[in-house]
Amino acid sequence: MSNSAIEFKAKQIPDTLSKLGLIILAIGVVLGILAFYTDHSRALFNYLIAFMFLLSVGVGSIFLISLEYITGAVWSVPFRRIVEFLASVTILLFILVIPLLLNMHDLFHWTHTEAVAGDEILKGKSPYLNTSFFIIRVLAGLVIWAFFYFAFTRNSKKQDLSQDQHLTTKNIRLSAVFIPIFAITITVSAVDWLMSLEPHWFSTIFGIYFFSGTVLAALAAATLIVVLLKEKGFLHPKIIDDHLYSFGALMFAFINFWGYIAFSQYMLIWYANLPEENFWFLHRWEGGWIVVSILLIIIHFVVPYSALLSQPAKIDPKRLKFASIWIMFAHLFDLYWLIMPNLESEHGYSFSSIDLVFPVSVVGILILVFNYNAKKYNLLPLGDPKLERGLNFRL
Amino acid sequence: MNRTDKIFGIAALFDTPDAIINAAEKVTAAGYKKIDVNTPYPVHGMNKAMKLKPSKLGFITLFFGLSGAAFAMLFMFWAMSLEYPMIIGGKPFFSLPAFIPITFEVTVLLATLSTVIGMLTFFFNYPNNNHPLNGTAYIKAVAVDKFGICIEASDNKFDKDVIEQLLHHLGANEIETIYYPKDEVYPIFQPKYLMFLAATAIATSLVTYFVLNKLMFMDPFNWMMVQDKLIPQEKSEVFEDGFGMRKPVEGTVARGFIPYPFMGEPTPADVLSNPFLPTRENIELGKKKYLIYCSPCHGNYAEGDSRLRGQFPNPPTLHSVRSREMSDGMLYHIITNGQNIMPSYASQVTREERWAIVNYIRVLQRAKFARESDLQEIKKESAANVE
Amino acid sequence: MKIDYKIEPPVVEGRLSLSQIEELVAKPLETRPDKKFFIAIGISGTALLIGIICVAITLHYGIGMWGNNQPVGWGFGIVNFVFWVGIGHAGTLISAILFLLRQKWRTGIARFAEAMTIFAVICAGLFPILHTGRPWLGGYLFPYPNQHGLWINFTSPLIWDVFAVSTYFTVSLVFWYIGLIPDFASLRERTASKVKKIIYSIFSLGWRHSNRNWLHYEKAYLLLAGFATPLVLSVHTIVSFDFAVSIMPGWHTTIFPPYFVAGAIFSGFAMVVTVLIFVRKIFNLEHIITLNHFDKMNKVIMATGMMVGYAYAMEFFIAWYSGNPFEQFVIINRAFGPYAWAYWIMVTCNVVFPQLFWIKKFRRSIPVMLAIAILVNVGMWFERFVITVTSLHRDYLPSSWGYFTPTLYDIGILVGSFGLFFTLVILFTKTLPVVSISEVKAVAGGAQPSHHGGNH
Repeated sequence: MSNSAIEFKAKQIPDTLSKLGLIILAIGVVLGILAFYTDHSRALFNYLIAFMFLLSVGVGSIFLISLEYITGAVWSVPFRRIVEFLASVTILLFILVIPLLLNMHDLFHWTHTEAVAGDEILKGKSPYLNTSFFIIRVLAGLVIWAFFYFAFTRNSKKQDLSQDQHLTTKNIRLSAVFIPIFAITITVSAVDWLMSLEPHWFSTIFGIYFFSGTVLAALAAATLIVVLLKEKGFLHPKIIDDHLYSFGALMFAFINFWGYIAFSQYMLIWYANLPEENFWFLHRWEGGWIVVSILLIIIHFVVPYSALLSQPAKIDPKRLKFASIWIMFAHLFDLYWLIMPNLESEHGYSFSSIDLVFPVSVVGILILVFNYNAKKYNLLPLGDPKLERGLNFRL
Repeated sequence: MNRTDKIFGIAALFDTPDAIINAAEKVTAAGYKKIDVNTPYPVHGMNKAMKLKPSKLGFITLFFGLSGAAFAMLFMFWAMSLEYPMIIGGKPFFSLPAFIPITFEVTVLLATLSTVIGMLTFFFNYPNNNHPLNGTAYIKAVAVDKFGICIEASDNKFDKDVIEQLLHHLGANEIETIYYPKDEVYPIFQPKYLMFLAATAIATSLVTYFVLNKLMFMDPFNWMMVQDKLIPQEKSEVFEDGFGMRKPVEGTVARGFIPYPFMGEPTPADVLSNPFLPTRENIELGKKKYLIYCSPCHGNYAEGDSRLRGQFPNPPTLHSVRSREMSDGMLYHIITNGQNIMPSYASQVTREERWAIVNYIRVLQRAKFARESDLQEIKKESAANVE
Repeated sequence: MKIDYKIEPPVVEGRLSLSQIEELVAKPLETRPDKKFFIAIGISGTALLIGIICVAITLHYGIGMWGNNQPVGWGFGIVNFVFWVGIGHAGTLISAILFLLRQKWRTGIARFAEAMTIFAVICAGLFPILHTGRPWLGGYLFPYPNQHGLWINFTSPLIWDVFAVSTYFTVSLVFWYIGLIPDFASLRERTASKVKKIIYSIFSLGWRHSNRNWLHYEKAYLLLAGFATPLVLSVHTIVSFDFAVSIMPGWHTTIFPPYFVAGAIFSGFAMVVTVLIFVRKIFNLEHIITLNHFDKMNKVIMATGMMVGYAYAMEFFIAWYSGNPFEQFVIINRAFGPYAWAYWIMVTCNVVFPQLFWIKKFRRSIPVMLAIAILVNVGMWFERFVITVTSLHRDYLPSSWGYFTPTLYDIGILVGSFGLFFTLVILFTKTLPVVSISEVKAVAGGAQPSHHGGNH
């Protein structure tokens, strides 16, 4: 076939977007600082939720990039840039993690030396759960992700000019190495940031549980941007329903996967009913938490499942927009359900307006990160050898 | 020839998928409705070329899938929570998580089977080997590597010459006129076939009957029915003395055992005194046990009117002076030890229940020989109830 | 090898025409079986006979002939059951999940893998039925209104197994048959024999390759794939529930469902590779089942092997992290106790050897992949053995600790199940097309209109 370069001149991203992002972020930051002054520990736990959400989007996006390379998928090539833009959130995590590391004592029960000394089980865990090792693990994870982010995107961007096919081979090899490392790092993150909030609890499936949410969040963020860009005419005209269908189907598949993993975890602990495990769920079944737990099933499974079930729904841009926003919200809600019950409180669940503050900054950050990258780089990986096949993709 | 002269339609063969897509588009554009394309595999874009609507098969799947889920869930709820509620593993009768696996399986089973059966019968009218196209050279060709289009004679615009010209124009290789086949006598109605069916049915029933009712009880199939285990009322193979159960070690005392000192004495010198007060609960218990164990012979009101219709000698009434003057301890002794032909009830009725029965007998006796003062008491009570 | 990412690699090699594909696939059905066939069926038939004898003896004397006894109450019966159900997972995975993922290369191997699924599930079904001791009372496992007014215990994972495995078998069979209908129609048109024509006519139901039918057919295939995908996950999940809903240390761990599913796909793919190597060679299907197919399957084997390795590591880590002494004991006992040999066979075969597939040369070398695939099958059998036996043989009461040794009958029945499986596979290769004719035609070069999906 012809070697003619694909002709595509992207429209400029309007400046209003960066203003919008800045305004939202500013509001979010101001509100966040206020929140820290009103209720320090509640704000801190909410900050952790926002941090974990951005981690999900960033690291999940790197995983999606590597997945495209390793499976040799073509349909996603025209959108890889958008996923790469989102993946750059990973770099921001280096800054965002600082408040958490400074306030570890308020987050993690196992950092209280006097409590650990009086607890046989926590004493046994202290070779793993101790402050210095924790910080080493967190930083190591961030460095590894950042390395792979830079490696993937550098090759991808270089290709825009050189059209060197060898760079694709390089990235394929890189993804083969990344995926096992990703499995380990994401599990360690899940154990460290989420499971160890309740240091007595343990579940072997927990890493996979967090992984399923991570991929969903990244996928939903990418889908939302793709649909919005397509509607506004920023994307290549050859992008058609078949591409959207793939996004819809993938989100639908991961919704099912999350449901499967969540059910497996709940089912086994519920059935065996061992006191060393079931207290974690019982805690989320007490007082007002029961409403949150049941809402989690509806928000994270029932609604998106029904929204994406039918075949036309997977190509309808309106439905996809709704589903992707909803899934991002659902992932936040999932993190809320995982993290907030660990906040020491006397009378079960109580809602606070602080819980609404931090997602605002998340939206602002995502807009700015996208805007920054979209201005700087091509929206289409023009040099990718698979691009033409990707544009001509048919189901 | 094995065909009638009635035309079913005109079929044309093409060599490439591009040609057939083109032909389908043109024929559809020419306004023909009753057309069909036959290809060895689904050709992409053909549905669009023929302007076919998307399949509605999904609705069958959805309907049966949902009914499968509802049926399984409701059935388990009914069986486990209403019909025969049983606590299993300390779980509630309606344990939703434990019902989900089966609900899921039944949903999938019903949805897939209904999709396939619905498609084959409802959408395709299969099995149908008598379609006019079956057995033609046209079908033989499209089964391998040719691409065919067929315009049926029932189409409003059907005109043999016009169509043949159109197909020629489109570049068809071969054009075949398809005729309806002669009406076949369905082999299913031939007596030979019916006989065969009947014989099969009879043979199957006989074999089933034999296997289930005879073969399973013959050597060697009954071997697993014979087991070295203790069967009630049968001699044990395990122990030499032929008893299945072992006697307890000498001097063993049962839990909760309280010795009764006057066992076996027809007229004990001394008796126990009643340790239980005739409270309401105690008398209720006594009544229950009396009606179960005593009333068959002594009668419901202790008048010695047994329900046994002479199968066992009637005991005397318990309202005799002798009975009334007997001490509580003596009545207890008789129940415990037996008297004359009355056996001991010590093994059926516990110690507490025996005293309760004694108290109840006292109530019966008092009722039969009520005093004036008792009558006054009752009158007072009923008067109080009226107000 | 230099790869050009701009062009789609051809699924069917050698530029075969449509009729050549059909010729190639239909050939084994139209020729008389040769000497090789009789030798193969002789070997598998002998194994089957050994199994039949052992089953007969088991039925005669009862399952006391098997090695399982206190404290190891679940022995070879459950190990073989899980092993075979696992083998059965590759077929539906290839035919359903890869279909949903639009992986065109699945067409060459899907039919064969589906057939293997069905045969493997048949083998799997034998073991629990035999283990009940009274196989002829198997009907009691289904809910039916009976004179006791009792229902089966719907909350028991063993009953879920009955539902899952029988649903899985039925759906796989239907899926397989649906795929066979167009091929039956093609064979009906090909055959010269009158008897064969009647048989093919009955099974093809009068299929006419009509596009009006293809429309619904493709939709049905999609729907079935959509259902078979969660089904395939659910089956091994439920098998894992057999263990994991208990409170047995070593069995009760939340990672079991995905871990079992990954293991099932792992062993299933290994078995598919093992058998396809021979089928491809014997029936000259090198152009349809290409080295690219094996390359991709070997990648799947490597990936799932690492997932299984992840689960082993997670079990170890969480056992330590949990601080539960029983959990810790079981895991340590697994790796260093009396069954350490089995544990290390499992780890080397499942995690270490598949790492060789990192090297492209090994992924494309028939002898290497055959060796690794067989080792993986051995490893996966030992995985089930390790899970079942090591968790049971040292329970809470040290006075009742024991060591499980299989008897000759255990081994005989295992050999027999292999015999049954391979006998069915060999018979299948001579009676039905081992490759889906219509699907492979659809992905052959030039089979689709040029303005659609191809280059513009």
